[in-house]
Order: sequence, then structure tokens, then C-alpha cells
Amino acid sequence: MDTVVQLIVNGLLLGGVLALSALGFNIIFGVMRVVNLAHGDVIVIAALACAVAYAHWHINPLLLLPFTALGGFILGACIQRFLLRRLPAEIASAEASSLTLTFGLSYFLAGAGLAIFGGQIRSVPYLTGAIQLGAISIPQARLLAFVAAIVIAGLLGVFLRYTSIGRAIRATSMNLDGALACGVDAEFVRTISFGLGTAVAAAAGTLLSYVYTFNPQDGIPFTISAFAVIAIGGLGSYTGALLGALVLGFAQAFASYYAGSTLADAAPYVLFVLVMLVLPQGLLGRRTS
Amino acid sequence: MKIAGWAIAAVALIVLIVGPLHLNGYWLNLLYQTVLFVGLAYGFNIISGYAGYFSFGQIAFFGVGAYATGLVVLNLHWDWTIGALLGGVLCGVLAVPIGAVMLRLRGPFFALGMLGLAQTARVFASSSTALGSGSGMYLPPGSSLLPVYYWTLAVAGGAFAITWWIDRSAFGLRLQAIREDEAIAATLGVATTRAKVTAFVISAIIPGLLGGGYAWFLTYIEPSSAFSARVDLQSIVMAILGGIGTLWGPLVGAVLMTQVSEALWANFPQAYLMIFGGLLVVLLIVLPRGIVPAITARMQKRASPSAGAGMAMGSTQPGPERS
Repeated sequence: MDTVVQLIVNGLLLGGVLALSALGFNIIFGVMRVVNLAHGDVIVIAALACAVAYAHWHINPLLLLPFTALGGFILGACIQRFLLRRLPAEIASAEASSLTLTFGLSYFLAGAGLAIFGGQIRSVPYLTGAIQLGAISIPQARLLAFVAAIVIAGLLGVFLRYTSIGRAIRATSMNLDGALACGVDAEFVRTISFGLGTAVAAAAGTLLSYVYTFNPQDGIPFTISAFAVIAIGGLGSYTGALLGALVLGFAQAFASYYAGSTLADAAPYVLFVLVMLVLPQGLLGRRTS
Repeated sequence: MKIAGWAIAAVALIVLIVGPLHLNGYWLNLLYQTVLFVGLAYGFNIISGYAGYFSFGQIAFFGVGAYATGLVVLNLHWDWTIGALLGGVLCGVLAVPIGAVMLRLRGPFFALGMLGLAQTARVFASSSTALGSGSGMYLPPGSSLLPVYYWTLAVAGGAFAITWWIDRSAFGLRLQAIREDEAIAATLGVATTRAKVTAFVISAIIPGLLGGGYAWFLTYIEPSSAFSARVDLQSIVMAILGGIGTLWGPLVGAVLMTQVSEALWANFPQAYLMIFGGLLVVLLIVLPRGIVPAITARMQKRASPSAGAGMAMGSTQPGPERS
């Protein structure tokens, strides 16, 4: 019984971590229909920067959060403004070329991480303890990531719902033509959205620096699990993404206990393929044409 | 004109076959790398260029071919060429169910699904004791690179020949119809699933056959070299540089780029991924269609200045815009 409760707790916390790493990806996909293959690499670079800062100057990564998020915002806005916007706009090739561009960016960032931080595995040895509740143990680092995921998701929800830029972002993701007709500057909205998505990814990397160990070439698994989360939940849907993260978190927690860690590593991928085949719209996805 | 073309092709083939007998180690190695990437770029080009399904995971089949060869050589003590051949066959067989499932996903879903497949294969290889886990498998060192070179040349030549056939066959037209608009292709009577899976199988067999030679060349197989991100990225960049969905694009891109990449890899191994990733980004913005379509367009424009840009690129130009 205790094992099951512990696994549920693990799944819940892992779900929080996954939700955190999928949030930014979801913003970018929701607004621009761009699958950002460099998403995981942004997470990894932010985490590595925090690990280096901790190792050299003992700076608590939480204090760096505003700076990594700002850095992420600038990076993302520049990617949209100077790169993605210049792609040829033909309908048939636009999707493939934005995908290929972010594929190239992913290697660029991984290579830059390798050149800057070196190839070794880094981590932040901070908050390594666990809270004991009877037989259940709750790792502090994951709890922090879980709480932060909820806070960031909440702030994001308020921003999207109650500010005029947020409303413009939602309008653009719902119906581009309608938004344009109402005078929304779609290019500006895209730049802000890409910046915002990348900022959230960098924030996620900062918080996850407590949870995992990182090396510059770890980006792709994060991208895949982020994609799995939002594909399961329904692309572009924010509540769906949280649900998807929980489903995946539970699946991974139980799989790693009952079937070993190799299978647990493959779980996001297997689940993603299964859901895409059975429920192409995801669990809570909007039906689009 | 046609006779001249055949004559040039025959001369090139003779040079490629006889030339290596007189080359020393460095140049033979460079020639081997060039031919290898020509083959890989053609493999990517069929499913991604002609059929329009961008696959970032063809390296999975390359790795399967490498591991199959390792298993055959170490356990059955057969010649590596038989292993590489079996590896290619295995990839073709595996690609039928994988293609039937994965090709139901579209656009970014397919691309990510394939990327995930390669990732999962790498994780599987590094945890399977039968495949030597993370520490890999050692093959008996070969005496000469020449057999591997000829094997790779034959596969790359075959890949070119198949692309040549696809480029002028009804099958190729079906693939291009799928690329432009799959729903319309289906309503016009194209058996889309069969065409896509066939293209996918061809695109899997080519890297499968090449992986076996690569394993014998390295004499050592481990997950990160068999499922090498560098090889995957490089073959995609080459195909896009030359022009995907064209007959000559992968050849031009791979021949040019291998020389650049070998120089980079020798001098800046640390910055290699960064430079190549950045190059891909710049390329997509500056020369999105690749070298070959750009040249064809210019030549045709010169021949008939009145023809619009839309007509100039022939089959390589995406067709009429969807409504």
C-alpha cells in the first residue's frame, strides 16, 4: 500500500516537472503552430548556466530565475524576429522549413553548450533532501519544481486572460484571420509568444537544475517529453497539457517501479505514439480542420 | 547531349572504381566519407524530399544495419558483407510495420515520432547486454578500407539509380502528389499508404546497407556512433543544401559538404555541431530550395525570359497553392 501511495506521489511530482518543461513548448505551438525542436536545448542551457554559477559562486539558482527567464525571452524573440520570420511563406513548405530550422537551432544550441560548458555532466547539489511523511518521502527539489510549475502556469493563465497582449496572443492562436481583421499585429504577437515560450523554458531549466543532472546533449529527450505531454493533452490546450503531464508522470513512475528504468525512459515516446494513433486530437484537444 | 551525358557518367564511374586503387589512406578515407554521405542523403531524399515526410530519424536504420553486421560477424563468423546485406534486409522488413504506423502521423508529428524512434533505439542499444550495452562491440580489424569503399559506392550508386527511376516514374509522381496535398492525391486515386510505405522502406534499406559498412570501417560499434547525431544531422544538411526532392541535389550537397565537414571535424571537433546547426539555419533562410533548383531556375529563366518564376523550377517547385 505504501508503495502505491509513494508511486502516486512520485507520479504527481514528476507530472509537475513535466508540465513545467512543456508549458513553453505549448505557448509556441499554440500561437504559431511551430514545433520548436530547440525547446529542450534551451532548458538544458539554462540548467547548465545555473549549475556553473552554483559551482563557482554558490549562487542559489532561484535567485537567477529572473535573469535566465529574461535571457530566454530575448533569445526567443530574436529567433522569431530574425530567423523564423524570414522563412519562405509558401504553404506547402512552411511547416517543413520551420521544423528544419528549429532542428538546426537545436544542434546549434547543443554545440554552443558543449563549447561553453564542456561535455561533463553537471548538477546543483542543493535541496537534495526529502520530506518524510510516515513511510512516504517527498524529494524537496521535485516539490519545489511542482509548486513552481503551478505558480508559473497560474501567472501565465492570468497574463493570457487579463492583459491585452495576452488576449491578442489567444486571439491569434484561435483564429489568425479573425485576429488580423480586428487589428492585431500578428508579427508582434508571434515575437512576444516565441519570447514568452522560450522564457518559460529557461525558467523551467533553472528549476530543473535541482532535479536532474545535465550535459549539453540532453536536450532532445526534453523536447520529446514536452511534445508527448501536449500531444497527449491536446495540442494548444493549457488544461490538457497539465492533464497530459499527470498521465505521463504516473505512467513513468509506475513503469520505472514495475518494469525498470529503461522502459520508463521509453514511456513518453511509446505513450505519445499510442495516443497519436488512437486519439489524434489528444485528450482535451480542440477539433481543428 | 544525351550521349555526352552517358559518356560523362561512364568516365566518372570508371574513375570512382579504378581511382581508389592508387589513392593513399587520407584521400581514400575522404572519398569513402563522400560516397557514404551521398548514399545517406539520397536515402533521406526519397521519403522527405519526394514524399514530403520529414524524417529526422533515418539514423535508426543506419544503427540497425551496423549492429546487425556486428552480431553476424561476431556470433556467426560470416563475412561482414553478408551481415551488411542482412542488416539492409532487416531494415526493409522493420520499415513496413514502422512505416505503416508512423506514416499515419503528419508533418511535425511524424518528424518528432521518427526522432523519438532513433532516441529509443539508442537507449535500447545502450541497455541491451546482447548488443554490448554502452561499451559496444569490437569487430576484428579489417586489413583495407577498399572493400568497404566499394560496398558503399555500390549502395550509393544504387540509391542514385533508384532516385533516377523515381524521378521519372509514375511512382515518383504519386509521391510528389502526396507531398503537395495528400487528401487531393487520395481522392484522385493514389493509393497513398502503399506509396508512402514503399518510399519509407526504400529510405530505410539504404542507410541499413550503409550502416554495415560503417561498422566494419570503425571496427567498433557503440550506441552513440551507430546512432550518431552527427551523421544524421550532416546527411540532412547535405540533402537540403543540394536541394531536396531533386535527382542531383543530394549528390551536389553531399560532395560539397563532406569536404567542408571533414575539415571542420578535423580542426574544430568541439564547435562542429554548433557550426553545422548554424549552417542549416542560415541555409534555410538564404537558399531555402538548395543549390540545384536555384541553378535550374536560373538556366530556364535565361532560356525563356518570359516564363514566370513559378514555371521555372519544373517538378521541384511546390505545385499550385492550396486553397
